[in-house]
Amino acid sequence: MPTTAHARADLLDPAMLAALGRIELIARWVVDGFISGLHRSPRKGFSVEFAEHRPYQPGDDLRYVDWRIAARIDRWVVKQYEEETNLRATLVLDVSASMAWSGDPARLTKLAYAERLVAAVALLLLRQRDSVGLVRFDDRLRTVVPPRMRSGQWRRIVAALDDPGAGKASYAAGALERAARVVPRRGMILLVSDLLVEGDEVVRSVRSLRAAGHHVTVLHVMDPAERELPFASDAIFVDPESGSEVTATVADVRPAYRATVQAAIMEWRAALAAVGASYEVVMTNEPFGIPLRRAFAIRQRLP
Amino acid sequence: MEFLAPAWLAAAAAIAVPLLLHLMRRRIGTRIDFPAVRYLARAEREHSRKLRMRNLLLMLLRVAAVLVLTAAAARPIARLAGGGHAPTSLAIVLDNSLSSSAIQNGRPVLDELRARAREVVARASGEDRLFLVTADAVSRGGGRGAMLDAIDHVEPLAGAGDLERAVARAAALVRQGPASARWMHVREIVIITDAQASTWRRPVSLGDVRVILHRAPGTPPENRAVSHAEARPIRWTPRGSVVARFRGPDTATYRFTLEGRTLARGTAARDEEVIVRVSPPEQGWTAGTVELEPDEMRGDDVRHFAAWIGPAPGIAVHREIATFAQSAVDALRQTERVVAGSDVSIAPADVAVRLPALLFAPADPVRAGAANRVLERLGVPWRLGALRPGEIAARGTAEGVRPLDGVMVARRHALRPVGGATADTIAMAGAEPWIVGGPGYVLVASPLTPDATSLPVRAAFIPWLTDVVTQRLVGDAGTVVHASPGAAIARPDGMDALEVPGGRRVALAADTVIAPDRAGVAFFMRGGRRVGALVVNPEPDESDLARLTPDALVSRVRAAEVVSPDSARWTAALFSSSPRRSLLVPVLVLALAVLLLESAVAGAGQRRAA
Repeated sequence: MPTTAHARADLLDPAMLAALGRIELIARWVVDGFISGLHRSPRKGFSVEFAEHRPYQPGDDLRYVDWRIAARIDRWVVKQYEEETNLRATLVLDVSASMAWSGDPARLTKLAYAERLVAAVALLLLRQRDSVGLVRFDDRLRTVVPPRMRSGQWRRIVAALDDPGAGKASYAAGALERAARVVPRRGMILLVSDLLVEGDEVVRSVRSLRAAGHHVTVLHVMDPAERELPFASDAIFVDPESGSEVTATVADVRPAYRATVQAAIMEWRAALAAVGASYEVVMTNEPFGIPLRRAFAIRQRLP
Repeated sequence: MEFLAPAWLAAAAAIAVPLLLHLMRRRIGTRIDFPAVRYLARAEREHSRKLRMRNLLLMLLRVAAVLVLTAAAARPIARLAGGGHAPTSLAIVLDNSLSSSAIQNGRPVLDELRARAREVVARASGEDRLFLVTADAVSRGGGRGAMLDAIDHVEPLAGAGDLERAVARAAALVRQGPASARWMHVREIVIITDAQASTWRRPVSLGDVRVILHRAPGTPPENRAVSHAEARPIRWTPRGSVVARFRGPDTATYRFTLEGRTLARGTAARDEEVIVRVSPPEQGWTAGTVELEPDEMRGDDVRHFAAWIGPAPGIAVHREIATFAQSAVDALRQTERVVAGSDVSIAPADVAVRLPALLFAPADPVRAGAANRVLERLGVPWRLGALRPGEIAARGTAEGVRPLDGVMVARRHALRPVGGATADTIAMAGAEPWIVGGPGYVLVASPLTPDATSLPVRAAFIPWLTDVVTQRLVGDAGTVVHASPGAAIARPDGMDALEVPGGRRVALAADTVIAPDRAGVAFFMRGGRRVGALVVNPEPDESDLARLTPDALVSRVRAAEVVSPDSARWTAALFSSSPRRSLLVPVLVLALAVLLLESAVAGAGQRRAA
């Protein structure tokens, strides 16, 4: 099984793993595998909240004895704490046409990869008692699932991932603004997109979110073909969203293209860092565990 | 730079391939959906200048590679300065025609020409290939020593030679040689000539060779010459005449001889025709000369002729045609051209009994069949055919027989050859033969009557009859051939030997006979008897020593380069080409460098792409 030590689902090839089942199943395997790989409880260090009292039993930690009750009723009781959520996370997923593309039929499309990643992140956060919501957008908002921690929230999120999308453009700035509205207090906003959008608008929106106290993390989903331009022949390259065309001799332009992509990544990283947002590049041929670990690490740094 | 295999240069059209690839590379129809087009557009925008420069550089390198490889395939060669002159295939055309024997400034013109030829040889190196071609197109090759020896032994020809053929021969010589080494040699022809205008009438084309002309300096001497000498008629019975004409600036003193015996002496004006009538005692084929006093060019001071001499033939006229024929024969008898006898008969064809005979068609057409039977019996290979209607003019065609101008033919038979008879037609009526001749016979296709032909009543009849009897029917059927020294002539039928001056006999086997290279009279032999003469004399034009100007001489030669420097500087024009070396290795190195550079540029792109 993918959850065994020999084949942790979070470290498997995403395309191979995706072939084994639906999104929710894959996400569970990934999260289970991911958690099993941790050396300490994911709950460790979380803020906890009082739930109830119970009679003291020998061996209980004296720190949790409620001394005020003991003084009032002369009976030792122990405070029973319950883990509580202290984070509201909104996952903002780009479902525009550019996401529904893969440079290799053997790989997941960026959208398929991102949906499974979003499902896994949502499950992981919900298991940590975080409230998790979902915003899907292309040229307009497609789905808004407000952050909740209640049971069934994850199924709602997974069900929302099946909603139609793949519009002709990416309205990321609007989606981020809407995410800010559905998270009335400070929280975490995770944007999962290929970032084939107008950078200035996105950065401006992120700046606004940061000003409102939100922590923003951007996962830049890229197909390896978008980074390497591995095509063998000369061709006319067509943007599926805008329909714009560029005729290129691949062998000639490939070095310049790679440099340009690298420069674009550096620009994103610099621009988002300047406004206090985290930025990670996620390649669709990477096991889900890698971006999941990055997202988890970011979450761990939050209060 | 030149190319040994220039046909390969056509392969340079292959540069169209990289050019087309360069121009058409942006017209590729493959479309690929690619979301990151914005990065691609940005890459092209930001690196467009670099990309264009690289593509242009690659295109230029590939075009250069094609051109350099094409040039290598065409085997380039080039002249490189230094190291003396290039190995040269050089032919010296030494014009030793008769005119070069003229004495100018106290010595033969040929001495001056030989001296110039020696100067050419003196400048040659051991790598040069040398040839000497004289005006008779005879060539010699060899080293410098052999060439100098050959030049010293060149003597003037007895005639004009064939300078045009000699020059063509020289051009062929300098082009020959092993193909592998031919490119190394520069091809030069040095023509050393007295520039006689009559020799250089027509331009000569020599192709891709360099020609250096040297013209004998100075003005040619005045020249007197026998421009014409002829026995008239060829057969003397025994009376005949010698006709001569002279050329020169003024009068000339002449002497006519026959077999060394003086026939006549006198003085003739310029271009005057002198006729000497003789009735010599000699018999058979005889040689004679017409001579002038010696002058600056001896070769044309004597001109030779030949004649057949025999007794006046006896003529028998058949009574059926005696009306006109007998009176003509009587007139000839009075001038002692013929005598009464039976050497030759004149008769209608149907009653003739022997040859030689002058035969006429019978007056009665119904006797044509009988006439044909007689012709068959006599061995005459012609038959009388159907009568041809209509009056038509006759026209003489045979050499040695006076023409029949004004003679009309009203009744005639068609003449049919039998058994491959050779058509020796003496006269034509329209487009058909009317009078034919052969060994021992002359056959006229009309009766000798005024209603059939006006021949018997025309004034031309008696001279014609004289020619027919004395030139065609008397003695051996022989011929006189005129030729220039060393000329090739067709061997006359039946001749098996040639008796050259001095009495030596040369067997004739080939169809072509080369005339003796000295002027004189040789005799054709058949069965040990003289049956004709070969009269060898210099060409009359050779006596005209007028020379072309240097510019006119240059205009007569068409070649890759023609120079005619003056005498003082002409040796500097010799062997002027620098050595030619193969550029194959440098071009191949260049091609390799271009290909390596192209690989480096393309590879750099590929490595960056990888």
